[in-house]
Amino acid sequence: MNPYILAILLFGLGLGTTITFASSHWLLAWMGLEMNTLAIIPLMAQHHHPRAVEATTKYFLTQAAAAATLLFASITNAWLTGQWEIQQITHPLPTTMITLALALKIGLAPLHAWLPEVLQGLDLTTGLILSTWQKLAPFALILQIQPSNSTTLIILGLASTLIGGWGGLNQTQLRKILAYSSIAHLGWMILVLQFSPSITLLTLLTYLIMTSSTFLVFKLNKSTNINTLATSWAKAPALTALTPLILLSLGGLPPLTGFMPKWLILQELTKQGLAPTATLAALSALLSLYFYLRLSYAMTLTISPNSLLGTAPWRLPSTQLTYPLATSTALTICLLPLTPAISALLTP
Amino acid sequence: MVYVMFMFLFGLVLGLAAVASNPSPYFAALGLVAVAGMGCGVLVGHGGSFLSLVLFLIYLGGMLVVFAYSAALAAEPYPEGWGSWPVLGVMVAYLVGVCVAAGLFWGGWYEGAWVSADEFAEFSVFRGDVGGVALMYSAGGGVLVLGAWVLLLTLFVVLELTRGLGRGALRAV
Repeated sequence: MNPYILAILLFGLGLGTTITFASSHWLLAWMGLEMNTLAIIPLMAQHHHPRAVEATTKYFLTQAAAAATLLFASITNAWLTGQWEIQQITHPLPTTMITLALALKIGLAPLHAWLPEVLQGLDLTTGLILSTWQKLAPFALILQIQPSNSTTLIILGLASTLIGGWGGLNQTQLRKILAYSSIAHLGWMILVLQFSPSITLLTLLTYLIMTSSTFLVFKLNKSTNINTLATSWAKAPALTALTPLILLSLGGLPPLTGFMPKWLILQELTKQGLAPTATLAALSALLSLYFYLRLSYAMTLTISPNSLLGTAPWRLPSTQLTYPLATSTALTICLLPLTPAISALLTP
Repeated sequence: MVYVMFMFLFGLVLGLAAVASNPSPYFAALGLVAVAGMGCGVLVGHGGSFLSLVLFLIYLGGMLVVFAYSAALAAEPYPEGWGSWPVLGVMVAYLVGVCVAAGLFWGGWYEGAWVSADEFAEFSVFRGDVGGVALMYSAGGGVLVLGAWVLLLTLFVVLELTRGLGRGALRAV
């Protein structure tokens, strides 16, 4: 892509999120979200093959519908209460509409159907931007609204963890697996939103780090399905050894970082007297864990059938920057002992 | 004046029925032109002259023109208008429905200025629409710049998406 156009689009992406972060007026927040959607559309369709264009179209339609619902809800609130302030929405109708609009924006179940197909049509870099950066602006809004209906949020959360787990079980394409993993993690984030928004923020940040690691690993290995992953062990043996730890961190196993949000969420839910909800969420994490284990098994724990040439590929210096992968992998594996410091940092 | 407003409203509903009766895009665009034009007339009659002007310029002169070009790209050999029975039948059905609804809700009188105004005795009047434009350029300057930037971004996005014609993203065109 023309570097000037790329610079303008990336600038628009950054500006959109910044505007939504900095806004206290619903109209400005909506503008930031629309700017994000607009700027990423050419990035998604840059390899002009029909699959990418299809993914771009689906993304545009869902995000535009969500943004229109958001605008409609904020105008309804302005009509009913005269209030445009983001943190001052108290009427239940606009609050519920905004919650559902933002759920469609990030891909929470039952508004999740677009995410696997959209992510599958993109290359891994654009998929990474979609899964990480594009979640920041909607979450900035989700963290600020006062939730009205407790049941809606818990249903959104549990449905997302269950659908994220069950949906990912039958997948062989890595991008779809990561899409369902995203849905499940978003479910965990929404579960605890009404009790402790700082834990939601902590879950979001750890999820961003863990999923960045995973996307970058797959990008380095140039693998997009399980078969290719299984034969990529000889390309970067150190990475092959570390990837199970990254995947199990995504699955939420101690002593890795991914355990931190799940632990805090289960503790908070239990303190609020929602022990059955906590149990159901913990059991749904088992479903996700199964497909993370399957990926580790295919990549590292077994050597898949391959020709003799596949065991000794040329290990040339990678053209891809490895510094981000190194940083995010270190954070994905070793951050658990810092739990008290991190939760203290994120509590206002 | 009442008669003029009546004619405008009559044309509005007729145009709406013409659009909703599912003709070819050519005739639907013509119906939309009629609807927008009549609607502008109604708006002027209620005091919203500035908004009517903006509607004419931007909606009819900008968006509808683009839609007409897009409809021309999807040209049909035998376009269906009021001349064909399916379209005429649906149109008559809609008009009958309008008459029924009018019969149910008949009565009452609406009179009021459309635009809000703030007055200070004999000294000043602040109209809601043109006063808003003045505010947009003064206190709302930042958001205006932001809006202009977003429009520029949209231009680049569309140009990037359509780059390459038949080899690019739009291959069916």
